[in-house]
Formats: sequence, C-alpha cells, structure tokens
Amino acid sequence: MAINKQVEALSRAFAALADPTRRAILARLASGDADVSELMKPFALSQPTISKHLKVLERAGLVARGRDAQRRPRTLVAAPLKSIDDWLESYRRFWERKFASLDHYLKDMQKQEKSRGRPRR
Amino acid sequence: MENTRSAKVTTPSEREIVITRAFDAPRTVVFDAWTKAEHVAQWWDPGRAPLAVCEIDLRPNGAFRFVNRGPEGMRHPFTGVYREILAPARLVFTTRISPSGAESVGTLVFSEHGGRTTLTMTIACQSMADRDALLKMRIDVGTSRTLDNLDEYLGHQERQR
Repeated sequence: MAINKQVEALSRAFAALADPTRRAILARLASGDADVSELMKPFALSQPTISKHLKVLERAGLVARGRDAQRRPRTLVAAPLKSIDDWLESYRRFWERKFASLDHYLKDMQKQEKSRGRPRR
Repeated sequence: MENTRSAKVTTPSEREIVITRAFDAPRTVVFDAWTKAEHVAQWWDPGRAPLAVCEIDLRPNGAFRFVNRGPEGMRHPFTGVYREILAPARLVFTTRISPSGAESVGTLVFSEHGGRTTLTMTIACQSMADRDALLKMRIDVGTSRTLDNLDEYLGHQERQR
C-alpha cells in the first residue's frame, strides 16, 4: 500500500518533469521563489498556461505555495526530485555494471583482432 | 577516466528512458559485441560468467535470447525480436520484459569519434506506467544481484594472481 502510493507519487513527478516548460519553471524556482506574474515574464506564456503548469507541478508535490497570501509565491520542493534521482541511479547502476563488463570484453576483442593482424575498421 | 565514461540515464518523455555510454573501441567492434552470440555470451552477465543460453538470429524479425547462468530464480532471461539492423550504426529490437507484457522498443545508436564509440540506447515503452515499472524492475533485479557482485569480485582476485 505504502509502496503503491510511493510509486504513484513518483509517476506523477515523472509526468510533471516530462514537459520542458515545467522543467524550466522548476529551474527558475530553484534560484528563488516567484509568483505567477514573475514566472510569466521569462517564458512569454499567458497567465492561464503558467497556472496550468503550476497546478501539475503542485499535484506532483514539486512546488508549494508560499506564506504571502497576496503574492502567492511558489517555492520549489526538492524531496520528490530526490526520489526520482534515487530511482534513476539504481537503473543507471544496473546498466553500468553490464557496461563495465563490456569494457573488459571490448579490450579482449581488440587484443585478439590485433594479434590476428586484422585491420581495426 | 571512469567518471567521464560512466553511463547517463535520462527520461526525456513520459514513455522513454535514454542511456548513453562511451566505449574505448571503434563502433564496428562495439556493434559486433552486441550482435554476435559468441561475443554477447562473454559479457552480458555483469559477473562475466558466460551465458547459459545465447541465441541470436540477426535479421529483421529474427529472435534473440540471452539467459545467464545461476540457480533458478536468479536467472534473468532477456528475449526479443530484431526489427532493424544497420551495421555498425543502428540496431532496433522489441522486447516484452515489462511486467504488463506490453511491448517496448529498444533503439541502439552507435556513433564513433576518434576511435571511441558512444552508444545511445533508447527504450520506448507503450505507457508511462510500463516505463516506470521497467525502472522499478531493474532496481529489484539490481538488489538481487549482490551474489553476482561477489562473483565479480572473486573473478578480479583470480585474475590478479
């Protein structure tokens, strides 16, 4: 149950990150909180579009609303990014172990080709 | 050295995983290592134990099957069908390894610069759920492979003697 919830949360975070504009919004928020109008400027997007992206990011738990009720600045929440990182890192390690084995083997292959005097291309 | 070469993993879209990795060999050699049974059998298992089964029918719609040695439950067969073969630049295959049984497409692109090869591996799943399941499955496989780690370690010790 808890694991399913965790997987769901990760899926939402992945989906949120799949969009380049949303990644750019997160990058902007990483350098400091910003409200909707501040976010509109660098992206040349309409207010409803920015709000739509922010809603997706909020549902994924990547963005939270700040305390200031007037400005309603958005702030970056790094925790889900960390889980995604961990997930991808395990996957990377899985392949890296295979690739390390391939590295060894490629060396053997090239040694054998040289000793047979075959051209390398 | 190890750092500049180590694999990078990204998820450029909801359904895709992209892995890139550089190798110190021309792409003809790297392509052969991926497509000839006598070669794949020698490196596919991270512990470097030769595969128990390694069958490759390298033509469009030809099947492949890699099965590592090891006790039941520790074997991870990797099977699929080749779709596109363009030696030594490109290899496309389909597999049904995700838990849902849905097909995913693997595309391997080999590009060479100065005698080194960069491999770009794209795995395109049918849905985001499949993609995420695949990522998660690899974690499970990864953690059940501690014995392989030991194997690899012992292998290194052997070679250093």
